[in-house]
Amino acid sequence: MKIISGNEAVALAVKLARVGVVGIYPITPQTTIIEELAEMKAKGEISTDVVRVESEHSAMGVTLGAAVSGVRAFTATSSQGLLYMHEMVWWAAGSRAPIVMVVATRAVGAPWNIWNENTDFMSERDSGWIMAFASSPQEALDLTLQAFRISEDPRVFVPMMVGMDGFILSHTKTNVYIPSQEDVDTFLPPRRQPYVIDPETQESMGNIFQPVHYMKLRQSINEAIVGAKDVISEVGREYEKVNPLADYKTLNVEYKLDDAEYAVVTMGAWSLDAMEAVDRLRERGVPVGLYRVRYIRPWAEEEIERALGDKKGVIVFDRATSLGRGGPLYLEMRASLNNPVKGVIAGLGGVSMNKKDFMDAISRSLEEIRRGDIKDVTWYYPGEVKEVELGTPRSAI
Amino acid sequence: MSLEYQFFPVSHPSEGAGGKTGNWRVVRPVVGDRCIGCNACYLWCPEGTIGVKGRRAEVNYEYCKGCGVCANVCPVKAISMVSES
Repeated sequence: MKIISGNEAVALAVKLARVGVVGIYPITPQTTIIEELAEMKAKGEISTDVVRVESEHSAMGVTLGAAVSGVRAFTATSSQGLLYMHEMVWWAAGSRAPIVMVVATRAVGAPWNIWNENTDFMSERDSGWIMAFASSPQEALDLTLQAFRISEDPRVFVPMMVGMDGFILSHTKTNVYIPSQEDVDTFLPPRRQPYVIDPETQESMGNIFQPVHYMKLRQSINEAIVGAKDVISEVGREYEKVNPLADYKTLNVEYKLDDAEYAVVTMGAWSLDAMEAVDRLRERGVPVGLYRVRYIRPWAEEEIERALGDKKGVIVFDRATSLGRGGPLYLEMRASLNNPVKGVIAGLGGVSMNKKDFMDAISRSLEEIRRGDIKDVTWYYPGEVKEVELGTPRSAI
Repeated sequence: MSLEYQFFPVSHPSEGAGGKTGNWRVVRPVVGDRCIGCNACYLWCPEGTIGVKGRRAEVNYEYCKGCGVCANVCPVKAISMVSES
C-alpha cells in the first residue's frame, strides 16, 4: 500500500505494463501522469520512449504509429486535448490497434473551466473504443493494467480508454495497493496485435476500402466490442491474482440493490458520496440501492436488466450532457430499461455534490417517481447555489 | 470461440496493381555520378519509385510522376530534372 494520487497510480500502471512508447502532450489535469513518467525515465526506472509532441493530435499519432509497428503504447489527455485528438481517436479504433489511453476528465470550453465533468470522455462513446471509468485511484491503476490485456486479446483487438474524474481522482491521494512487477508480468502476456506494419513488408493500414468492406469493418468492431464483455469478466477474475483486494468479475458494480425497490445510477468518483447518501436514506427507511456503471462500452445490457429491471424506479445521475437531450447515462438506461427512469444532471464544471445534496436530489426524484409523474431531466444545483438565474453575468451587474 | 468476425483494415499493395502511371510526366529525374546512395530520395518519394540499388539510386520510370521531390531532398544534388520533350 502506498498513498498516491490517481495520476501517480496510472503512471505506475504504465511502468508495470512495460509500455514501449508514450506519445504525450501536457494538459491539466492529466499533466502529472506525463511528469511522473518523465521522472521515472530520468531516473532510469523505465526504458519507455516518452515522445514529446506539439499537440494531442500528434500524441495519438505517435502512439498509434508505435502500436501498429508492434509496441505496447500509451497516452493520456483531458478535455480540449481529447477533442483536439478526436480525429486520431477514431483512426486508432478503425486501425484495430491495441492502445491504452487514460482520460482525466475536465469540462470543455467555452468558457474556460478546468474543473471536473465527464462530458469530454462521454463524447467519445461512438468512436469504437472500449471505455471504462474509475471511481478511485486504485481502480484507475487496476483498469489501466487490465486495459492492456483486454485490448491485446485476439477476441477484442480494439483500443481501450480509462476515464477518471479530474482532480477528484487525478490529484487526490489515497491508499493504493501496488501490484508486484512479477505478478503483472504473469498477468500480462507478451503483446499481441492483429498485424504489424514494417517498412520491409508490403502491408499497409487504412488504405481506401470499398463501401461493403468499410461497413464490414465497422460491424467487426461492433462485434468485437460486444464480445469483449466475456473477455472483461475473464480478465477481471484473472486480475484477482494481481490485486487480491479487487473485484472485477462484473462490468458494473451493485451496492445494496438486492432488497431495494428503487435504484440510483452513477459513474465515477461521486458514486462514493452517493453510496453514503443511500446508506443514510436506508436508515430512514427508504428502500434504495445503487448501481455504479464502470463500463460505457461495451454496454452491460444483460447485467443492467438483471440488476435494475425489477425496480419501481431508477434515478440516473449524469456528470455529462448531451445538450438538448439530457445526459448520456440517462439515455443509455432509458434504452435498456422498461421501468420508470428519472434523469438528473449535476456536478458540471466542478459543481460539488456531497452526501446531503445526493440525499436531496434522490428524495426529490423519488417523489416524482412515486407520484407517477416523472418530469423532464432535472438540472440539479446543490444547497447554497440552489437558486440559479440563467442570465449573463454582465446583465446582472 | 470462432474469430471469424474479426476483420482488419490491412491491404497488400503491389507494383502495378492499379495500372501504369502513363505519360503525364513533364520532367524526369536523372541520377548523376555524385549519388552517394544515402536513401534520402527513397524515404521521401511519395510514390516509392526511387531507391538505392547497389550503391546508387535508380528510378522506376513506369510509375514516376516527375514531381521532383527526390531532386529537392538530395543532399549532394546528384539528381537533375530533365525535360521529357
